[in-house]
Amino acid sequence: MLTVENLRKSFGGVSAMNGVSLAFAEGSLTAVIGPNGAGKTTFFNLITGAFRPDSGRVLLGGDDIAGLSAPEIVKRGIGRAFQIASIFPSFTVRDAIRAAVNAHQGRHARLLQRFPIAEAESRADEVMELVGLGSRAGVASGNLSHGDQKLLDIALALALEPRVLLLDEPTAGMGPEERWQMIETVHQLWERKKMTLIFIEHDMDIVFKYAQTIRVLSYGTVLAEGTPDEVRRHPKVIEAYLGAHFETGVHAGTQRP
Amino acid sequence: MKRSPFVRDLLIAVAAIGLLALLPAAFPAKAVSDFVIRLSALAIFATSLNLLVGYGGMVSFGHGLFYGLGAYSFALLMQKAGTSVPVAFALAVLINAGVATVIGAICIRLKEIYFSFLTLAFQMLLHSCIIAWTSVTGGDQGLTGGLPRPPFLGIHLGEPRQLYLFCCVVLVVSLLLMRHFVQSPFGYTLRMIRDNPRRAGFLGIRVWRIQLLAFVVAGVFGGIGGLLMSLFVSSAYPDFAYWTVSGEAVFMILLGGMGVFLGPLAGAAILLLLNDMVTRFTEHYSLVLGIVILVFALGLRKGLLGTAADLWVRWRAPAARQPAKG
Amino acid sequence: MDLQALLTCVSTASCVVTQATGGFISGMLLFLVAAGLSLIFGTLKVTNFMHGSLYMLGAYFAYTLYNLTGSYTVAVIGAALGVGLFGLIFERFFMSRVYNADVLMQLLVCYGFILILDDAVKIIWGPEFLAMGMPATFQRPPILLAGGVLPVFYLFLIGVTLVVAAALAFLLTRTRAGKIVRAAATNPTMTSALGINTAVVFGGVFALGGLLAGLAGALAVPVRSLVAGMGFSILIESFIVTVIGGMGSVAGALVGALLIGLVRSFGTIGFPLFTEGIMFLFMTAVLIIKPSGLFGKER
Repeated sequence: MLTVENLRKSFGGVSAMNGVSLAFAEGSLTAVIGPNGAGKTTFFNLITGAFRPDSGRVLLGGDDIAGLSAPEIVKRGIGRAFQIASIFPSFTVRDAIRAAVNAHQGRHARLLQRFPIAEAESRADEVMELVGLGSRAGVASGNLSHGDQKLLDIALALALEPRVLLLDEPTAGMGPEERWQMIETVHQLWERKKMTLIFIEHDMDIVFKYAQTIRVLSYGTVLAEGTPDEVRRHPKVIEAYLGAHFETGVHAGTQRP
Repeated sequence: MKRSPFVRDLLIAVAAIGLLALLPAAFPAKAVSDFVIRLSALAIFATSLNLLVGYGGMVSFGHGLFYGLGAYSFALLMQKAGTSVPVAFALAVLINAGVATVIGAICIRLKEIYFSFLTLAFQMLLHSCIIAWTSVTGGDQGLTGGLPRPPFLGIHLGEPRQLYLFCCVVLVVSLLLMRHFVQSPFGYTLRMIRDNPRRAGFLGIRVWRIQLLAFVVAGVFGGIGGLLMSLFVSSAYPDFAYWTVSGEAVFMILLGGMGVFLGPLAGAAILLLLNDMVTRFTEHYSLVLGIVILVFALGLRKGLLGTAADLWVRWRAPAARQPAKG
Repeated sequence: MDLQALLTCVSTASCVVTQATGGFISGMLLFLVAAGLSLIFGTLKVTNFMHGSLYMLGAYFAYTLYNLTGSYTVAVIGAALGVGLFGLIFERFFMSRVYNADVLMQLLVCYGFILILDDAVKIIWGPEFLAMGMPATFQRPPILLAGGVLPVFYLFLIGVTLVVAAALAFLLTRTRAGKIVRAAATNPTMTSALGINTAVVFGGVFALGGLLAGLAGALAVPVRSLVAGMGFSILIESFIVTVIGGMGSVAGALVGALLIGLVRSFGTIGFPLFTEGIMFLFMTAVLIIKPSGLFGKER
């Protein structure tokens, strides 16, 4: 489905992505983990066209999309949400999602119709219901709680019906209880929409409970990959990143590594 | 079932034209109809700038370029090429659209203050060309000899009353069209880009295309404003392309409130009124205007209509949810 | 357009000398105004659209002080200090209130001040053109160079400006205050985290900008006539200069000002009606090719 080959990127001589090759199976749920500065967000930025890779390929269903612009990559079916919720503060929840649906349906530049367009309505309602924002449809996005803003960010991506969804720390900045709610919502989304979902996460309890497979990045390289059990037992991971107590299966979760 | 918003706007527009048509009967003074004509030109111009500034977050300092361009292309077509009013109107719109496409494509690549400066530079470049190209434009004297206004379709613009009605209709139709664009999917996309251009890009929106479209639409209507003014003064002057035209339009927008569609119209009306009243009582118009500007800039940030709209929302529903701007 | 006249001029040494010195003093005055504008933008990211009015105030202050005291030295120093103080007051009581607002609000506050000051000048000094005349010290026969005329005052003006430019460069690169200003420009949150009072820095920069503009106005009085609204054309030219040279760059302001000064003096011979057009053409070209300006840092 989504494959990256030998991806490299440096900023002003400092190497941020050092030849990363990874594959994500269609319909899989993958967590990307790694210490701060490991290059997780850079990895997302390179896939989604925020930055152009120095070299390497990004294959989506066989097509090389490396170097395309962000809108072009979105059109090919990769959606993303951000670590800090990226929304449209003056829009109500419903209007923001409607506008995103318009963009997906290619109707966003129409001058002669009135907003909202009837064709976008059912899709917008469905997306709101999917993330559970239905009750806040008329609230200005800028006035939403932090958690709801994160949900809206995801909803905007979902409005595009992505084949691959990239979530950068969906639980960032939340309390423990809120985190579990959020990841539960994300997990349900994945089950219902059958898409390829890749998320960055720091909470190891969440990672090991929900991810089908895990990719560990460190200093812009792939440290390990595999199922949660494989990663948990991977010597390099234990040595370099997770710490000794993972061997015994103790949860290292709630504090950020 | 609720009436569709477009039908509602249309009804308001028809009512507005009706009221404006009756106005001279109630106030026959020439000063009143002249006021409305000048207002029509400036209100279209200020509203078109607000498409960029208020709805698109693109702070152009050089929108007067299109005001001047519209005035000169229309006036020159009428005077030198002897075209009829509708043809000159249509050609002036096309010229503005063409120039806006080229200049917009160059300016939009720049962000923030650099975008502002580049638009200003282009405007002043046009101003310099008008001053320098005396054989065509009459230089700093403006176009001399007046505009011929041959009748078309039974409309005779040399007749003050018909000119008045023509300007009223152009004003209301222009506002109706701009209102419609602002409420279209394009208008919402433009607001998305204003709020968060990066996110808009990650929703598959090619930001520059939307911004360019906005620039062209604004340029066309800015030109229509200038064209009406040249029709009224029966000439065109380099001052139409001077930077102060842009400065005043910015002030009109802020005065009326950029978050409300009719804010620039209200701002234009207030500024014109202020101008006419103050100059009657004192020669120190600048001093009074300057103080008014400071009061607005430091006090009423959202403009008159914006402040009124806030009060209205608060009054209607004390714990109200705030709807999307515009 | 009269390119023939321009060609004749540039092929005659005397004409070149006369026009070049004229261009140089325009450039020097422009530099003093543009340097302040550039410094304010570089540090505060605020465009001071009323900077030209500070220049005008400087000229009128100097005019009055000279008539009162009869000393041009007192007039220059007094005008510079007075306008510096005015800049500080303007920043503290008006501009600082709109830092967090839209750039349009900043534009508007400045626009309001331009209008008020122009009318105030008309009320206080009258609407007619005023001329101070050359101070006695400089009433000497001009130096002749290759047949071109070089008034003594021009040399003084160029000398003073170059000294100020050097002092400014020293202040910004070698002193603690200058380093703070430059740090505040690149990273305002960092400097306030370090316990530096940004309000003092911002006020200081505005005062310095006002001082430079006031100095320019005072130096201009013997060679320019005074009228309300005189700040406007120098404001526009300073903008062009700062954009060409790069916002926030003092060296850029010097190069840009000399360029524009020369364009002005030679342009009036070759294409008197399109001199401004040429300047805007320069500005447009720079903005398209290198938006940050010739000496600006890429952002």
